[in-house]
Amino acid sequence: MIEVEQLRKSFGELNAVDGVSFTARPGEIFGLLGPNGAGKTTTIGCISGLLTPTAGHIRVMGHDVVHDGPAAREAMGVAPQEIALYEDLSAVENLSFWGGAQRLRNPLLKERIQKVLEITGLQDRAREPVKRFSGGMKRRLNLACAIVHSPKVLLLDEPTVGVDPQSRVRLLELVRSEAAGGTCILYTTHYMEEAETLCDRLAIMDHGRIIASGTLAELRSMLAERDLLRLSGVFAPSAARSAAERLEGIEVLQADEGLIVLSVAEASRKLPAIFAALAEAGADVRGTTLTQPSLESLFIRLTGKELRE
Amino acid sequence: MRFIWISALKDLRILRHDPFSVITWIGIPLCIGLLIQVVFGGADAKPQGLLLVADRDNTIVSGLLTGSFNNDPLGKMLTVERVDLRSGRARIDRGDGSALLVIPAGLQDAFLNNRPYHLQLFTNAGQRILPKIVEETLRGMVDGAFYLQRVAGDQLRGLSGQRTPSDDDVSRRSVQANHLAQDMRQFLSPPLIELETTVVQEKKRSAGTGDFFFPNMIFMGLLLVGNGLSRDIWKERARGTLRRLAVSPSPVAAFLAGRLLMVSLMFCAVAIAAVIAAKYLAGVHVANMAAAVAWAALAGTVFYSLLLPIAVYSTDPRRADVRGNLLVFPLAMVGGCFFPFEVMPDWMARIGRWTPNGMAVVQFKDILAGSVNPAHFALVFAALAAAALLAFLYSLRGLRGEFLQ
Repeated sequence: MIEVEQLRKSFGELNAVDGVSFTARPGEIFGLLGPNGAGKTTTIGCISGLLTPTAGHIRVMGHDVVHDGPAAREAMGVAPQEIALYEDLSAVENLSFWGGAQRLRNPLLKERIQKVLEITGLQDRAREPVKRFSGGMKRRLNLACAIVHSPKVLLLDEPTVGVDPQSRVRLLELVRSEAAGGTCILYTTHYMEEAETLCDRLAIMDHGRIIASGTLAELRSMLAERDLLRLSGVFAPSAARSAAERLEGIEVLQADEGLIVLSVAEASRKLPAIFAALAEAGADVRGTTLTQPSLESLFIRLTGKELRE
Repeated sequence: MRFIWISALKDLRILRHDPFSVITWIGIPLCIGLLIQVVFGGADAKPQGLLLVADRDNTIVSGLLTGSFNNDPLGKMLTVERVDLRSGRARIDRGDGSALLVIPAGLQDAFLNNRPYHLQLFTNAGQRILPKIVEETLRGMVDGAFYLQRVAGDQLRGLSGQRTPSDDDVSRRSVQANHLAQDMRQFLSPPLIELETTVVQEKKRSAGTGDFFFPNMIFMGLLLVGNGLSRDIWKERARGTLRRLAVSPSPVAAFLAGRLLMVSLMFCAVAIAAVIAAKYLAGVHVANMAAAVAWAALAGTVFYSLLLPIAVYSTDPRRADVRGNLLVFPLAMVGGCFFPFEVMPDWMARIGRWTPNGMAVVQFKDILAGSVNPAHFALVFAALAAAALLAFLYSLRGLRGEFLQ
């Protein structure tokens, strides 16, 4: 279990994390979703003990990570964003070292090494130097090193970055099976689809704050079943904004010279009225994209920008 | 404690996968030994110098003078080459040769007729020992010539100017020589004072070139290896393993101690190779092999510990490289690892003996020679161990501080 209360982490004037609170329960995959620089990695850094919080409290399985660090870290497994492995060593040698660092001893260590090699599908390449592995295999081994000691809490910081689709599916299956075994997983990502399909609960972060949190259904309900309508073309932003806002049930999320983003209830029915109003305002609409309610549309609604910006 | 061994084992496994580095480190002292053997021909070789002679007198006396440099033991150290004055000056000016002896015309005449005369000696400032030997030898000859002139001037003068002496002349000179010898006898072999000479068996063997250079070279190798190993901390940083370790329950101190253990084992291997090369390739006298290996391994570990903070506190690997080299090379030069203290100016040698490598080299030479002063050795050991411990703790502080921002 991870309990985070009013976590704040500053680097000089910059508040990288600003008043973040959440709880992740055993057997749950809790997602931290946000663009690069939102504060996800800093939050994980504070939970793992790599960074000292400026304020707030973090407890992992009841152990305060600042005052009872070693006990908290013993309960944790961390798969960092970078592939933190010894490339000259084999998979077995890496697992043996990281298992040893987590205070596992033989024969349990050997048993666990065989087990994680099996579940990550690396047993056939177990004795080869890691430098000969593909990117996906290294990612799997990176995760294997984090779970070799059967941690109760698993922190996964963007574990699928730069991984081919096949390896990604395998990694996500692995994460699900760990959660099914009762492990509390904190999962950061900026991939919407991944968060939607994997996480039981989510917190959306931006500028170091949690701007929304809950289950996927709860977050979707925040959009009140509204569609996201993107119109590209040539616009006079203020005139287009006024024209759209005069229509009922339409919220303007973004209005630039080349793009207008609208949150619309029952957009398919209102499209003709929207086009007419914009044409009257001198707009030249050249492209239209209609998106059903999703995390991405919620993120855009909450922050006024796209997640990948 | 267990994690120290796990960490050391990990580093040893990495080394096993990188045999080229191990071979290079162990090979450094072996190569140095081999080179010394090839260049100097082993322990019995003497330094070789070149004496240029511009003989403008070209007489029997000038021939005797230059010929004396061909006799042992000088003949083993010096090669005499006859040159003309101009080319001789040019060569000595560019450092080609140990010394240039100029014998102006009139040496024989001046010697036989007891007239003032000047020999000229130009020495190479870049060499310290051989030019001095030439100079002292010449001074001895000049003094000898003066006394010979005082004692047997008449007889010598009698020989001058006669190309083919007659039988009468030879008989007369022989009688004069016999009288001179009888007269000198009371001074040279006074009957009442007997000199009993006993040749004492040499207890210590004389030092050869290997003894002179090789210990220094070993320590230069240790410094370079220590410098290289200290920068491995940047590999850990770059691949993120150090950060990963910091979020495990195992302490960073144990991890660093494990590295230190691996480094000391590595230095043991280097030291064994170095001492074997010293003894069997370079012909160095090794009084106590085990002690020499242990001291070299310990010194290498100390060098690693002292250089580690530079790598830890540098903000990127390139700066770590530059700073490490900026420290190591002057230390090697001043601390007797490049040039032996014996050939340094006194002030520099005095400073160099206080550097960590200088202290270690001096003790190493004492161990090789079997002349260790236990009290002084204990003092040096304590000083180096304390410095290494402080440097280790300082590095640890830097590594911990890196994470707990």
